[in-house]
Amino acid sequence: MKLDTFIKNFEEAVEDVEVGSLTALTRFKDLKSWDSLAILTVTDAIDMEYGVVPRKPDFESADTLLELFELVQTRLKK
Amino acid sequence: MMCNVFVNVENWAFTEGFLLSSSRIMPKCRFSDVKISGIVTCVPTLERCIDNELELFGGKVKQLERLKKTIGLHRRRVVDEQTTAADLCEQAARYFIEQSAVEPSKIDAIICVTQTPDYSQPCNAAVLHGRLGLSLHCAALDVNLGCSGYVYGIWMAHTMIASGGCERVLLLAGDTISSLVNARDRSVAPLFGDGGSATLVERSQSSAATFFSLQTDGKGYDNLIVPAGGARQPCTKDTAVAVKDEAGNIRSPENLFMDGAEIFNFSITEEPKSVIELLEYAEIDADAVDHFVFHQANRYILSNIAKRLKLDIAKVPMQTVERYGNQSSASIPTAICGELATALADRSSTRLLLSGFGVGLSWASALVEVSDLAAFELIDYTD
Repeated sequence: MKLDTFIKNFEEAVEDVEVGSLTALTRFKDLKSWDSLAILTVTDAIDMEYGVVPRKPDFESADTLLELFELVQTRLKK
Repeated sequence: MMCNVFVNVENWAFTEGFLLSSSRIMPKCRFSDVKISGIVTCVPTLERCIDNELELFGGKVKQLERLKKTIGLHRRRVVDEQTTAADLCEQAARYFIEQSAVEPSKIDAIICVTQTPDYSQPCNAAVLHGRLGLSLHCAALDVNLGCSGYVYGIWMAHTMIASGGCERVLLLAGDTISSLVNARDRSVAPLFGDGGSATLVERSQSSAATFFSLQTDGKGYDNLIVPAGGARQPCTKDTAVAVKDEAGNIRSPENLFMDGAEIFNFSITEEPKSVIELLEYAEIDADAVDHFVFHQANRYILSNIAKRLKLDIAKVPMQTVERYGNQSSASIPTAICGELATALADRSSTRLLLSGFGVGLSWASALVEVSDLAAFELIDYTD
């Protein structure tokens, strides 16, 4: 599981976000288009790519894309 | 109706009847000699369209357009204040009785699946039994289930017939969830529509086997709930007070609450698994199924389930929710009557996989092969 692929998947899943515009330290909840709909589309993208369904507390506890990536990675290892 | 057999539900050991086999992992089961012979669905005529509800989204056109594009929300049919799910179901049942050769006196049981009954007691089934003039020798009961309820109702009808106690069971599945949502709660208000259906299930010596899988996760009960109005939290003047939540949605404890993210996660996680397990149990390949009729939750969930199952999208009806809204227990019969009636009429035999999922959390799937099924075009409710 690579961080840059994870970020690209995230960028493609969220509306109005250009691919290549985000970094590991992006605070994704500050994105203008981050809302309940974005949670669904990102959940779908992560599940399709990694077979992990992130839960609401995961999105709540992670601030940056790196932190979200690490949470998914932890789940993958279980 | 005269029940003349003893049914050991725990072991599924029928002393008489038509159950062929069952899995040790309950409850998956297989029936033969029972068929679905007719379906009618009745929808209200009052139409709402999300395009006229910009105010609900704070005037943000872009947000509304995103919901239309991504979730597939568009139009929905809702009842007026005088009309209930029982009214819609009654009209569907009357239409079916008129159009078919079924005599009301030959109906041995009536099952009403609804979460919006006319009264807390008596049950809708008893009320409709009287309104339809059914025989005194007729069992009548309600099932308090929503989006999975139609499949549960079909399963119960099969079980009642297989047990030997019934020849014909009338299943009435319908809801008016629009009456439970707060019009200022954009997480549910633009989503839910209303509908009522009537389905006849009867004994038939020549029918193909039918397979069922039924599941529940009660730990998720509060992800889709009307908190007040039952014995746990009776309605008071306080429960009628609507307040704004963190997301800006306004509702009271007497209104429907839905955690959309949790319901989405549940749907994409459990539904595909349930369908695969049922197909494996039935030893039937997905390619051999003609139509996958899922509960019409919303287009996004439907397309995600289809994507995970790698289904041919042409086999998955999903226009119903955009035309009529999420109709809870009535959505599967609406999809059958609204999108498949012509296709069913053109073929002598059609294999359908029906699958409902939602409040409970509860989910259920059925694999049925229908022959000469009378699936009538949707009818509009008239006072």
